[in-house]
Amino acid sequence: MALLYGLLWRLLLVLVHVNRALVSWLRVRLRSWKGRLWERAMAALLLPVALAGFSDRQKKSNHNPDAKANTLTGNLTASRRTRWLCDGRSLEKLPVHIGLLVAEDEPSYTDIANLVVWCMAVGISYVSVYDNQGFFRKNNSRLLEEIVRQQQDLLGAEASKYNVEFLSNGSDKHQHQVLSCTPTVKVLSPEDGKQSIVQAAQQLCRSVENKERSSKDISVSMLDILLREAKNIPDPELVVKFGPVDSTLGFLPWHIRLTEFIFLPSHKNVSYEDLLGALQRYGACQQRLGQ
Amino acid sequence: MSWIREGDLNLLQKISANVLKAGPMPKHVAFIMDGNRRFARKKRMERQEGHMQGFDKLAETLLWCKHLSIQEVTVYAFSIENFKRTKDEVDGLIELARQKFERLLDERENLEKHGVCIRVLGDLNMLPLDLQQLIAKAVITTRAHNKCFLNVCFSYTSRYEITNAVREMAWGVEQGLIKASDVSEALLSECLYSNNSPNPDLLIRTSGEIRLSDFLLWQTSHSCLVFQSVLWPEYSFWNLCEAIVQYQLNHKSIQKARDLHREHQALQQFEADRACVAELLQHHGNGKPVDAQRRQEALLHYTACREERTQDFLQALKHKRDSFFDDLCSEAVLT
Repeated sequence: MALLYGLLWRLLLVLVHVNRALVSWLRVRLRSWKGRLWERAMAALLLPVALAGFSDRQKKSNHNPDAKANTLTGNLTASRRTRWLCDGRSLEKLPVHIGLLVAEDEPSYTDIANLVVWCMAVGISYVSVYDNQGFFRKNNSRLLEEIVRQQQDLLGAEASKYNVEFLSNGSDKHQHQVLSCTPTVKVLSPEDGKQSIVQAAQQLCRSVENKERSSKDISVSMLDILLREAKNIPDPELVVKFGPVDSTLGFLPWHIRLTEFIFLPSHKNVSYEDLLGALQRYGACQQRLGQ
Repeated sequence: MSWIREGDLNLLQKISANVLKAGPMPKHVAFIMDGNRRFARKKRMERQEGHMQGFDKLAETLLWCKHLSIQEVTVYAFSIENFKRTKDEVDGLIELARQKFERLLDERENLEKHGVCIRVLGDLNMLPLDLQQLIAKAVITTRAHNKCFLNVCFSYTSRYEITNAVREMAWGVEQGLIKASDVSEALLSECLYSNNSPNPDLLIRTSGEIRLSDFLLWQTSHSCLVFQSVLWPEYSFWNLCEAIVQYQLNHKSIQKARDLHREHQALQQFEADRACVAELLQHHGNGKPVDAQRRQEALLHYTACREERTQDFLQALKHKRDSFFDDLCSEAVLT
């Protein structure tokens, strides 16, 4: 009997897997179909603009064929930028801090860089990238390079106004920059989670050891201030998790008290529409804060 | 309505339960039982009636868990933030708790028969004294039972729990039981209200909300999270099965992440011990170089001492917590 149940269980898992694969395949299909439709519509709309731009330029510099390509990409990035900014403004609410949690074995730097750039383009001020094995922490500079490159690709020459503040760990030398409006990208690993709570606890216990304060004085807000100082970022309002593991995998336990979690199947080949969908879903969330 | 339901699953449910049990099963499941008020609104009934039905659903769910051989369940019954609700509703919820804990004491024998141990996690000091005493009585009567465990988080938030753990450790430092350098991830876990339970394998939140709302933040770092859109009073056996299937799909990768974390934690402890020993040696040896063997011996000695210290401290903490309940209970007898 046990054997039969075991077989049935395996069958059940296979069925669930098939179901998932089918659903994700259909989603990709539907999206690419919709995407093509969009592209055509956009092309039709932009054609007169592009043509006008062309003829203008051609008159001025018909001996320089490179200029054509430049204006075209310039127009494209500009229109993309305004579209993303509009998307950000049209949302009911936008998180100040978004966490990107990668729960997959082989991280793709290009896709993560894309996500970071899109997040900044819609107007999110803090973006943190996390994985539980510390890949991004170890290959910090590679991620930064990739982000800068994608920024130029996606946003064009004007990208310089999206100045990236890159904090790899809770170093205090960047403290003064957090007040400015430039988006901040932060790479997080499990050490920033429980371990930072332990460090704050140690700090408080040490002050008790030195008779600077009594154990009774320790309060939630005291611990919260200590932990906020160490991180220098507000609590994330939204965490988008990529990959098949449905868990926070140690992502900043103290800071995710009111964080909304949205699960996406994978960060590989993730599209702007996927992110926008997640943001729209976040926009619809209502918090009652215990009431 | 009683805490313990008697009854059996129907044939189809029994077969499904057995099929699920062929795979890895969660040993500890945590529930955020959300949606009682929305359910009441939907059914056009009193808010309090919604909360009552929510409790009945809990009793039913416990029965399902028993049949699925899930030994431990933790539920979020009342958050510290819930004190912000209207006085009417808070009073209603406190009254409901009063009734249910009284009922629990009446069902003493039944609880013993099933070996149900009930723990209440949270800061009881925020509750009216008579409810505190009732809870203390219920906890003490079921303390020795060990077949299944129900943890009720009442007047609880996770940040408060973590802060309380830090406070307890600081108390240990004040008493001279431990040093500040003994504070570690493992010790903090031991000082939480949930120190007697393993971390939950599966966390289920109903009613479509997708956040943790300050519930078990520390303990669910490597738990499978399942958000379901059904309202809690409408929760069914099949919803539970669905969540368990999701856990089973996640089981392997979460196990891997847990192992990784455990390795990391051990390494961290080792490094901390080594740093402490290095400091000690430097202090005693007046900066003279120490050979490797002496260093090794010193490290072993230090680790053993630290472990003894923390064990003594945890013993003292346990005693302090037990006597809090005992005192409440004996006060109740006197009055």
